[in-house]
Amino acid sequence: MGDNRQRVRGLLATRLKLGKAADELGDEAPLFGPGGLGLDSIDALELVLGLEKEFGVVIEDRATAVQVLASIRTIAEFVEAQGKG
Amino acid sequence: MGEDPLSRLPHGISFRFVDRILEMIPGKRVVALKNVSVDDPYLRDHFPGNPLMPGVLLVEAMVQTAGLLLPEGSSAVLAQIKEARFRRPVVPGDQVRIEAEHRTGLGTLHRFTLRASVGGSLVAEAEIVLAITTPGDRGS
Repeated sequence: MGDNRQRVRGLLATRLKLGKAADELGDEAPLFGPGGLGLDSIDALELVLGLEKEFGVVIEDRATAVQVLASIRTIAEFVEAQGKG
Repeated sequence: MGEDPLSRLPHGISFRFVDRILEMIPGKRVVALKNVSVDDPYLRDHFPGNPLMPGVLLVEAMVQTAGLLLPEGSSAVLAQIKEARFRRPVVPGDQVRIEAEHRTGLGTLHRFTLRASVGGSLVAEAEIVLAITTPGDRGS
């Protein structure tokens, strides 16, 4: 499980232009919106593609994306709930 | 497909960089042609005596091709260009074959993989995101 969080962290680091090193990202840090990493909707699309490639999980709609892409923890939990990872 | 499927492009004729559709799987994949002619107005000065299709206009042609996959009646703007590469020059007389493939969509955003080739050789490629600003009449 911790391993999945690390893989998600790696995904964020390689696919997105982050202002800080991925190792500094806390599991609970909000990825979007003020007070978080400040990712935007184009970053979300990039993450959706990245998660599909890395874990084989599909996020079909915006509502699911909002829930799943909240933080590294929520992404890792989604991957595990899909039986992937 | 009924009347001219290119007419769904919102661009005026003088800013249309797609001439013909060869294949179309609505919402998924399209292959289109752009014939580059020495008469194309932008080639007169790009460059004088040495006409070369501007890379950004090749991107425009690829973006317009991708736009053919959006729901009919919708309008969209370019939101991202990624991984754009120009591998060979495109010159008058070239027939550019452009393939656009819909990769994924999320809300109003749609990501496409684009490839342009001349005579079987890749001339340009890119990944783009289009953002729909006005939804169409139907989904696709």
